[in-house]
Amino acid sequence: MTDTNDSRGRQLPRAFAADIPTDLAAGRAVELAEIYALDAISDAEREAIDTYVGGAPEAERASFNERVRQARETLAMSFTAEEEPPADLFARIVAQLPEQPARAQAPRREAAAEGPAAPAAVPTAEPAPAGDELSAARQRRDVRRRPAGLRNWLIGVAAAAVIALGGVGIGAYVANQNDPFNQVIEAQDARQATVDVNGGGTATVSISPSHDALVVRMKDVPPPPAGKVYQMWLIPKDGSTPVSQGLMDAEALSKPALVKGIGSAAALGITVEPAGGSATPTLPTVAAAPLNT
Amino acid sequence: MTTQRPGNTVFRFARHDAAEAGNGVQRLPAGDLCLRVMDTPNAPNFDATAPPGTAVDLNQQLAQLLERIADGDQASFAEFYRLTSRRVFGMARRVLIDPELSEDTVQEVFLQVWQNAAKFDPGSGSPLAWLMTISHRRAVDRVRSSQSATEREARYGASSQDIDHDSVSDQVDSRLEAEAVVRCLETLTETQQESVRLAYYGGLTYREVAEKLNAAIPTIKSRIRDGLIRLKSCLGVS
Repeated sequence: MTDTNDSRGRQLPRAFAADIPTDLAAGRAVELAEIYALDAISDAEREAIDTYVGGAPEAERASFNERVRQARETLAMSFTAEEEPPADLFARIVAQLPEQPARAQAPRREAAAEGPAAPAAVPTAEPAPAGDELSAARQRRDVRRRPAGLRNWLIGVAAAAVIALGGVGIGAYVANQNDPFNQVIEAQDARQATVDVNGGGTATVSISPSHDALVVRMKDVPPPPAGKVYQMWLIPKDGSTPVSQGLMDAEALSKPALVKGIGSAAALGITVEPAGGSATPTLPTVAAAPLNT
Repeated sequence: MTTQRPGNTVFRFARHDAAEAGNGVQRLPAGDLCLRVMDTPNAPNFDATAPPGTAVDLNQQLAQLLERIADGDQASFAEFYRLTSRRVFGMARRVLIDPELSEDTVQEVFLQVWQNAAKFDPGSGSPLAWLMTISHRRAVDRVRSSQSATEREARYGASSQDIDHDSVSDQVDSRLEAEAVVRCLETLTETQQESVRLAYYGGLTYREVAEKLNAAIPTIKSRIRDGLIRLKSCLGVS
């Protein structure tokens, strides 16, 4: 008890009860801010605190929120264990991304509402102070680079997730050896990985460096929307423009697709494009897999 | 694959700005570190001269990236992941131990980042605190639903007893920050440190901490509160 208020022999109002409801009833909500920020409470207790604070007088609510904010900053500074996640984790996350983040549907926040903290990179933010050439230049550049290409995106994928493909060669020899698909799938050096397709289903990619080819097989992937097709791309390692590898309509989805000449590719990406396909990929990808060739 | 990471340009510019400022960069004596470190944690001012590698510098980068992620910029999302995934995974592993559960948690966290980037409000905290709040909550939810308190205690006991910090950084400023954390942690009593750690990395509730330490529940609540407040004051979090 050396570190509590009671140790000084005083009966302070900050002294806690055993349970949260008693603390709340006694007006100690603000004193619970640190425990709350630390997640050291049950779900029911969190709910009780949220309910109480939601209905508390403005000043009390503000004090509570401020103490929670400070505690969270303190924790983020103090507990900084680091560990390298698996190399393919980012690709798995990307494969699950919904099409658009929240703001795409919602109106942009008013820059004014963000106060002085509004980052200069936001086009709607107030103009950079006069004479701040660097900032202004950066802002212009940011606007230019906003429609960032799939190229950048997938290089990001590849950099973060060095090798997504792993595992062992596929088992039994089942089919015609002259079938180019099976030549790839059953090659000695074949490896495969399955990634989720945004919108449903999976894409299994089998890659054979010795054949300089890969096979993509879609499973349970819904047909593209009316007037659209899936388009496959190889993203070159050297950062040059993605190269279309062909289109997949509803019918083609059920068949494996063979992609050759993968030696210089950093990643495979699949996008949804207007019927007839596009010259350059339209973001976001519905599936992406870094290649380690 | 080490060239052309899309987000690189972003912070190369930020650092360039800092270099431009040259002697204008404020250098305070080591004793004032805490104050300097968290001087403007919630005000991402991209023309500020935060030393590279420090929390302020990182938070500035992250705030900028979150703005772009909110607009659907996937390259910024990739860069945000690159800058923070070690922290998120490191914490998840401490709390969950199990690698697969930890990976699942990281996935959930970054999906939430993608979807909720627009909701990030610089006024209510730094990007890193925002991210680690999401991460810790997710990890704790998962560990509580998958493991009993006893298992968690046992596992926690088997893992490190230290509060870890980034001690391997070659950036002088971030190393000084880490040293400030160590120094400030030492101002906590042992029982305060223990209670805060058990709650943070053990995923225990205050009740479970009390049971484990065989202490009265109000005592543990006070230790956690007082420990975090002391740490906050020492670190100069304002």
